Amino acid sequence: MNLIGHLECFVAVAEELHFGHAAERLGMAQPPLSQRIQRLEKELGLRLFDRSSRHVELTAPGRLLLDEARDLLTRVDRIHSLAARARLGAVGAVRVGLPADLGGPVLAALIADFREHCPDLRLEPREIGTAEQCRALAEGTLDVGVLRHPADTRDFDLGPMLAQPLGALLPAGSPEARGGPLHPADLDGREIVLFPREDAPGAHDELLAACRRHGLDPAAVHEARNPQFALGLVLAGTAVALTAPIEEEGVVWRPIAGDPLALRTSCAWPKGRRDPVLERAVERFTSIATRVLRRHAGMAPLERAVSRRVMARPASGFLS
Amino acid sequence: MNERRAQRVRARIEEAFRDAGVTGRLAAVDVDGGRGIGVRPDEPVVLASVMKVPLLVALHRQAAAGTLDPAERVVLGPDDRTAGSTGLAMLRDEVAMSLRDLAALMITVSDNAAADALFARVGVPAVNTVLAELGLRGTHVAGTCRELFDSMESDAGVADREELWAVLDEPGMLGRLSALDPARTSRSTPAETAGLFAAIWRDEVAPAAHCAQMRRLFALQVWPHRLASGFPYDDVRVSGKTGTLPTIRNEAGVVEYPDGGRYAVAVFTRSVSTAAVLPKADAVIGTAARLAVEYLRTAGG
Repeated sequence: MNLIGHLECFVAVAEELHFGHAAERLGMAQPPLSQRIQRLEKELGLRLFDRSSRHVELTAPGRLLLDEARDLLTRVDRIHSLAARARLGAVGAVRVGLPADLGGPVLAALIADFREHCPDLRLEPREIGTAEQCRALAEGTLDVGVLRHPADTRDFDLGPMLAQPLGALLPAGSPEARGGPLHPADLDGREIVLFPREDAPGAHDELLAACRRHGLDPAAVHEARNPQFALGLVLAGTAVALTAPIEEEGVVWRPIAGDPLALRTSCAWPKGRRDPVLERAVERFTSIATRVLRRHAGMAPLERAVSRRVMARPASGFLS
Repeated sequence: MNERRAQRVRARIEEAFRDAGVTGRLAAVDVDGGRGIGVRPDEPVVLASVMKVPLLVALHRQAAAGTLDPAERVVLGPDDRTAGSTGLAMLRDEVAMSLRDLAALMITVSDNAAADALFARVGVPAVNTVLAELGLRGTHVAGTCRELFDSMESDAGVADREELWAVLDEPGMLGRLSALDPARTSRSTPAETAGLFAAIWRDEVAPAAHCAQMRRLFALQVWPHRLASGFPYDDVRVSGKTGTLPTIRNEAGVVEYPDGGRYAVAVFTRSVSTAAVLPKADAVIGTAARLAVEYLRTAGG
């Protein structure tokens, strides 16, 4: 007999004084719960509850055992959490890869949030592009990465997919800096600044293709790994940066009409992890990172855009 | 002086495209005078259903050469018809019809089932041979309607068209669809498409009787929201063929005035938005065509 399991059932029924409620709390059906209580009573050789048709009440011996059972369960909990801490100590740290253009405030929020929720675990962040993250995850030198899509993620599990619309960062005085959203064609022929292709080749190519498709054929593409470098090029009047919103002196960020330029981001980690403790740490990181990216980096879950319903009409359908 | 006017008209057309939220390419040519105007007229564009025009021309050339009888009857069961929302494509039971009536449905309501039945008889390579014979080097038909649908579904990794609409907004999706890339699908340029229509109107692509039959079908095209919307006059005839795919709206055809003026126009647009219903994007095809035709009519002399 699994005494601990049976004692858990006993405490739940004793606290709820209702078999249905207790079963619900334990996430089990009522008949097996009743059977467990009966088996425990048989094992101990006494009745724990008086069951009338309407009420469930603790018997005197039941009351006597309740505190002891609670105490025992608390100590069992402690054994579990001590074991987990010991194993986390063995794991030491979660090695995470983060894109270079995430920005200081986002990184700080991520580390603070993780520290608060996983005090036993150290976060070991590395500034590392998508292409290299994929390699490092495959080689096992990275536990989880925040990467840009599209990328070859066949061997990885992915967290929630987030989309971040990019806009144009312009010098405050330029004519396009006034008014509402820009059309990509408004920037046709200008030089643009984007993150380096070698960091995330898939996303880089996709963004440039989207620019050209919508009438923005840049005269030159400058690559800036660092947001400050991009800012410098914009302030100097050399180029327009395609970035997430940035608030800085001397520049204006404009959205692009219809959000045709967007970066897709998600956490990724190797499939088929062996160590359940590391697995749980990666899970915690993914949920924290997803929350921080939504709150602090203006990213939105992609599922929202996917649920679009289209009633195609004869004249607007395919090949009409 | 005239060049400056042309510049102004081109700028107004560009502005109209921008206001409608599209990127547009246009070519317009005086069918008889030969003068023209264009906005990026030589850039490659996705034909979409405008590819049914070279198929129609190839059909008539084969008929004229005697290798095919336009009255030949074809029996089409519901299961071997390509999907579509118009014509035979949306019917449920077996249909028997002549090749030329299939052509009528293909042009007037853009019937995909009819088009693929004709592709099966005429042959995709034969259509490209005709294009080469006509000297249209930038125009190419890559395959049938069914092949185009299949490519979209497999590129997107979805099972059907409803699902395709649902994932269309995913960043990168539009770039993955070869059907939307002129380099990898049926393509042309505005100048060549307008030139093809002008040639049909000048009886140059087939014997005159056959060109007259083609012109009749283009004049019977049903939709008023694109090219025709720019010419809302009782005495102006608008003939044309539309082309539609996600983000793509095209129409090419000929506008005929009561004074005898005839102008071939080809307008190819691409919207920023993936919305299926964008009335402004449809209407700007007519607006841009009218600006171009009015320029050709008044700049004469």
